[in-house]
Order: sequence, then structure tokens, then C-alpha cells
Amino acid sequence: MSTVISFIENLVFIIMGIIATTSIIFVVLAVQSKDLLKTIIFSAVQSTLYALLLFLLFAPDIVLVYVAVSVGLLPLLSILLVKKVGRYEG
Amino acid sequence: MKVRNIFFVLLMIFVVLVISIPTLLGAFGTIPPEHLRSIAKQYLFLSYNPYNKSLWSASPEVVAAIVWDYRGLDTLYETMVFYTAIIGALMLYSEILGSKDVIGGKGLSFIVKRGTAIVLLAILAVGISTVLHGMITPGGGFQGGAIMAVAPIVALIVFSRTFLDKSKLTYAHFISIRSLALLGVILAPLIPLISNAFIFQNQAKSLPIFQSPIFFTYPSTIIDVPMGGLIAILNIFEGIAVFSAFALAFMILLYSEELSRKPLEGEDIGY
Repeated sequence: MSTVISFIENLVFIIMGIIATTSIIFVVLAVQSKDLLKTIIFSAVQSTLYALLLFLLFAPDIVLVYVAVSVGLLPLLSILLVKKVGRYEG
Repeated sequence: MKVRNIFFVLLMIFVVLVISIPTLLGAFGTIPPEHLRSIAKQYLFLSYNPYNKSLWSASPEVVAAIVWDYRGLDTLYETMVFYTAIIGALMLYSEILGSKDVIGGKGLSFIVKRGTAIVLLAILAVGISTVLHGMITPGGGFQGGAIMAVAPIVALIVFSRTFLDKSKLTYAHFISIRSLALLGVILAPLIPLISNAFIFQNQAKSLPIFQSPIFFTYPSTIIDVPMGGLIAILNIFEGIAVFSAFALAFMILLYSEELSRKPLEGEDIGY
């Protein structure tokens, strides 16, 4: 019984751990990808996961900026840049 | 190539272990912390305490109280940094600022335009409500401004630059709106100085430096809604400033290549 309670108590930290680990996968994909448009999308997914993480860490003020800037403005800016310099690396 | 990949994977595993092992061994103390730090206790106790108004800020949202009242000067310098960054970006393109684009675009199809028009209103409404509720809910000037800034950028892409060039809203308008908002951010905290208060102090606190005959504080409530005095005013100014700054930056970036190449010419021989 006590193990079940401690599991529920720690559930939020387990979720945070899963989110943080998943974000690493998307960072690796973003670094490895040769298609720059895909890179932007992967980094946007990673930003979304970070926004979730910040929300679970009780920082709603930061979430509001982070979502608007890193999922809205930054991909837009990067896509604009990719449009001018070309989509494929190498 | 294969060796490079192996090294990359090993590096990633190493980074994850370096971060996670100290955390699991308790290098950051117990997570979550079992007790508040003393300064956090003071902020939580004093920020909205109508029974002890000696150091209160009249803002139920403690983060907003810290950002704009207790640590108001820090936020002022933060605003200055953002201001300088945008001015620097505008300076790089000073030759073409405010000029009409040479290529006339039509924008996207009619359906996309109408759909976007509705979504733009919704984005602006969310941003404005985030700004106006900065003193009661999480959010505030910068947050609301950044949310609102998505609207002009989407509009520039969907309706094309020609739409902006034809409209009455010019580059000079954006610059003057932004300058006025920043002037507001600087001047509004100075007003309490005429009475018994310090700079960036929205409520009269029981720390008089000299006895002034004028007694002035920003209203702590309007009807029965907590307004946070100066915090609400500063949030509105900051929201407008951030919104117009982002809009200006993207207005330059979305110039056609033909025009935006002009400031870069002759860069190799120096400015």
C-alpha cells in the first residue's frame, strides 16, 4: 500500500523524467538531420516538451513566454532563414 | 562516419548520466524542497497582505509583484536590453526602413485569408487578456506582448506585404507607438516620487524618506477588482512595447530579397 502511495506521489517526477528523456531524442534528431526544415520541426517538438516540463515545475509565467517564442516566433524566423539559404545541408 | 555516430551517441549518454546521477544522489537537496527559503516566505507574506500594508504591493500574483515592484529596476534594465537589441537590428537595415517593397504579392487564397482574419482576432484577444490580467493570473507585459506578436507576423505572410504597404499603418507609426510605450515604462514609476515614495513603488509603504504634503499612490483596486496599482499600468506599456518591437523586427525580415540585399552591398569594404 505504501509503495502505491509513494508511486503516486512521485508520478509527476516520473512524467518529468520521461518528458526530459524524450526531449533528448528530439535534440539528437535535430542535430543529425540534413533537412533543415525537419530540424526546425524537431526543435519545435523539443520546445513543446520543455514547455510541458516548465508547467509541471510550477512556472506558468515562463510557459506563456516559452510557448509563444520557441514554438511560434523562433520556428517562423528559422523557416524564413531556411527559405533564403536553402533547405538541404551539405 | 560510423565512428562519428558512435562518439555522438556516447557523448549523449555521458551528458544524460552527468546530469541525472548527481540529481538522483541528492546534489540539489530534496526535490521538491521541503521548506521555503526565508526571502520567499517574506515575499509570500507581504505581497498581498491587506492587514499589514507596510510593505505590500497590492498584487495577488506574487511573481508580478516581484517583477514590477520589489525588483522593478531589474525589469526596467531588461526592457532596456530588449530595446537596444531591436534598435541594433533596425540600424543594420537603416537604408531600406519604411520603404515600400518592390515586388507586389497577392497573399494566399481567399479561404486562408478569411480563416486567418478570425484566428488573428483570437490571438490578439488572448494576448490582451494576458497583459490585462498580469496582476491576478500568471502572465504580464512581456508574455502578452510575445503572444500578440504572432498576429502581425502571420498577417504579413498570409495577406502579403502589399497589404501592409497599402494600409495606413506605416513604419513610423510602429516606431512612435513603441517609443511612447517605453516612455510610459520610464515615466509611470517616477510619479510616486512627488509623494512619500520611492521609485518603482506602486503602493505607499511605511518607509517615508521625507514628509511630502502630497499623498499619492496608484489605486490598489478598481471597484472591487485588485489592480496592483502601478503593475497593471506597466504591464500595458510593456505589452505594447514588446508587440511593436517584434512586429518591427519581422517587418524588416520579411522584405523581399531584392530589397534586403541593398544594405548588404559594399559590406566587404566596411561601413
